[in-house]
Amino acid sequence: MKPAAFEYYAPRTVDEAVALLKAHGDEAKLLAGGQSLVPLMNMRLARPGVIIDLNRTRGLDGLREQRGVLRIGAMVRQRAAERSALVASRCPLLRDALTWVGHPQIRNRGTIGGSVAHADPASEVPAVLAALDGEVVVRGPRGARTIPAAEFFVTYLTTALAPTELLTEVRIPALPRGAGWSWMEIARRHGDFALAGVGVVLALRGRVIGDARIGLTGVGPTPVRARAAEERLVGARPSEALWQEAADAVRAAVEPDGDLHASADYRRHVAGVLTMRALREAFGRAAHTKRKGRGRAA
Amino acid sequence: MKLDGTNTLPAPVETVWKTINDPDALRRCTPGLKELKPTGPDSYAATLSIGIAAVKGTYAGTLTITDKRAPTHYKIVLEGTGGAGFMKGEGTVDLEAQGAETLMRWASDIQVGGLIAGVGQRMLSGVGKMLIGQFFKCLEQQFEGAGAAPPREVGGASGTAQGER
Amino acid sequence: MATRDIALTINGRAYQGRAEVRKTLADFIREDCGLTGTHLGCEHGVCGACTILMNGEAVRSCLLFAVQAEGADLRTVEGLADGDRLHPIQQAFWENHGLQCGFCTPGFLMTTVEFLRDNPHPTEREIREGLAGNLCRCTGYQNIVKAVAAAAEVLAAAKQGARGRRRTSGHLPAAVKSTPRRRPKVRRAGPARARRRRSGGTTR
Repeated sequence: MKPAAFEYYAPRTVDEAVALLKAHGDEAKLLAGGQSLVPLMNMRLARPGVIIDLNRTRGLDGLREQRGVLRIGAMVRQRAAERSALVASRCPLLRDALTWVGHPQIRNRGTIGGSVAHADPASEVPAVLAALDGEVVVRGPRGARTIPAAEFFVTYLTTALAPTELLTEVRIPALPRGAGWSWMEIARRHGDFALAGVGVVLALRGRVIGDARIGLTGVGPTPVRARAAEERLVGARPSEALWQEAADAVRAAVEPDGDLHASADYRRHVAGVLTMRALREAFGRAAHTKRKGRGRAA
Repeated sequence: MKLDGTNTLPAPVETVWKTINDPDALRRCTPGLKELKPTGPDSYAATLSIGIAAVKGTYAGTLTITDKRAPTHYKIVLEGTGGAGFMKGEGTVDLEAQGAETLMRWASDIQVGGLIAGVGQRMLSGVGKMLIGQFFKCLEQQFEGAGAAPPREVGGASGTAQGER
Repeated sequence: MATRDIALTINGRAYQGRAEVRKTLADFIREDCGLTGTHLGCEHGVCGACTILMNGEAVRSCLLFAVQAEGADLRTVEGLADGDRLHPIQQAFWENHGLQCGFCTPGFLMTTVEFLRDNPHPTEREIREGLAGNLCRCTGYQNIVKAVAAAAEVLAAAKQGARGRRRTSGHLPAAVKSTPRRRPKVRRAGPARARRRRSGGTTR
């Protein structure tokens, strides 16, 4: 249970990190929180020849809002984001989802950027990014580019990042004022990877739903946006029957794999159940905010 | 892990049969196959470097074709062991002529064991399906115009991404 | 194999050593610093037996390379007791039979230090969730949860009532005195350079 030998670098700047990636290409792995990579290395399932440690790289830990978008540096620790007043007020869906990420010890080291770049099919942050149409900023030898969530997640543990690119920032649009949100997840034990998880945002417009977002994890090789379910919701009046229709649409949209922990049927069924609960909770929050007169209904 | 499917290939039965028996085509299309050395009629020594993202393992083993009933049926067995575990895949292939095209029916049974199977358990069937899908997609492309390149690999050792931009 | 010089602080004492870059922090603490209270359970980040505090935060030391802890301020289970006096969390584990074989215990203790600091008045459910990153094969967790609840009360009362106690950290309680079986491969910084903490009000 000891990792194989590797060369180790701890670049101080992003430019240095990119230069190292360019020099070592496929042999190099970036080390962020290490909570996913180091277990693989300890078990020798991953044997990168070069480790580029980003924990001393400057400029990757900013957390701010700009023009309605939360800009989270790649190395912002999951715990820091979980406790951030800014995240709590502008994107509580992310805050709630983060409480399901592993355990406090994992979140003390794990990073937002690392979680997105690792793209575990049962992880929380990628699903939030997908639900809210976030994007990532990456830097490579040829400069920086932005990749929207819908294009970023390719398949299991695989993203659109090239071997010489480094994720520098995660951008998530803030929730519309007055919107309700909910993160619902089921796992065998608290902290386990999700058997299925759903993030929902609902914005009301008068008596109907103005905007709806549904993002799922654990039900496919990448996070799933349940667009058909979203379309069903927009313009409709909230009701239990409507939540049921949306849940059915979600079930039709997902093609989960079965495994030792849960069958495909179970995951599909549970995805629907969680969607219903999340819609109820999100609506309750939106309606509550409206009643309290805080923020305009979207 | 049992997986099966059907594909329609844009070529006549004899051409398809020839291709699926051709070691070059097998070498090109099997994800992660690094080496295929003939060791006898219809049997080869194989080296595979396969995985997903950072999780890569090298497996040394054999590829054997048996139960040949030209030009419509055979059984192909690929097995290997490595540091991360072992794998054994058995597949039967049935070809049916449909005019100028061929309907290919395949059925496979894949076993993975050892460390990779334990740790990677929750993604195993998904990744397995994906790799098999790649294999057949690549086969299809062998017939779509000469020299069609194999699809960009996800899962072979060549890398994780869609290429550098 | 690339080795690096590593200098860090553990329980208020400076340590320096040299290790391969692939050596985990857990192994460095145990082998190079001679502090074997931190245990190796799974070595892949699941069991929590290797939990220590790094710069005040609970972390899995098996998932850190020693080189990453250069300059860091660590606290391990050896740093909890004050001379002969057990830390209130240790005392609570003892009184509530919160351990059997004791293998998981250091990890639980260090996790609890952070947990109670951040959640001074936890419910039982919060305790169970807060400890979910530590596994125990012996106890069935019942008494661990009781111990943490009891410790919470003691710490809360202490904060309310008592003045800050003066503590020095880094000594083993008399009941657990040990003779090192082998000299640590580490040169401890001399008195002139050792950064030993003396003042009271150590974070609990």
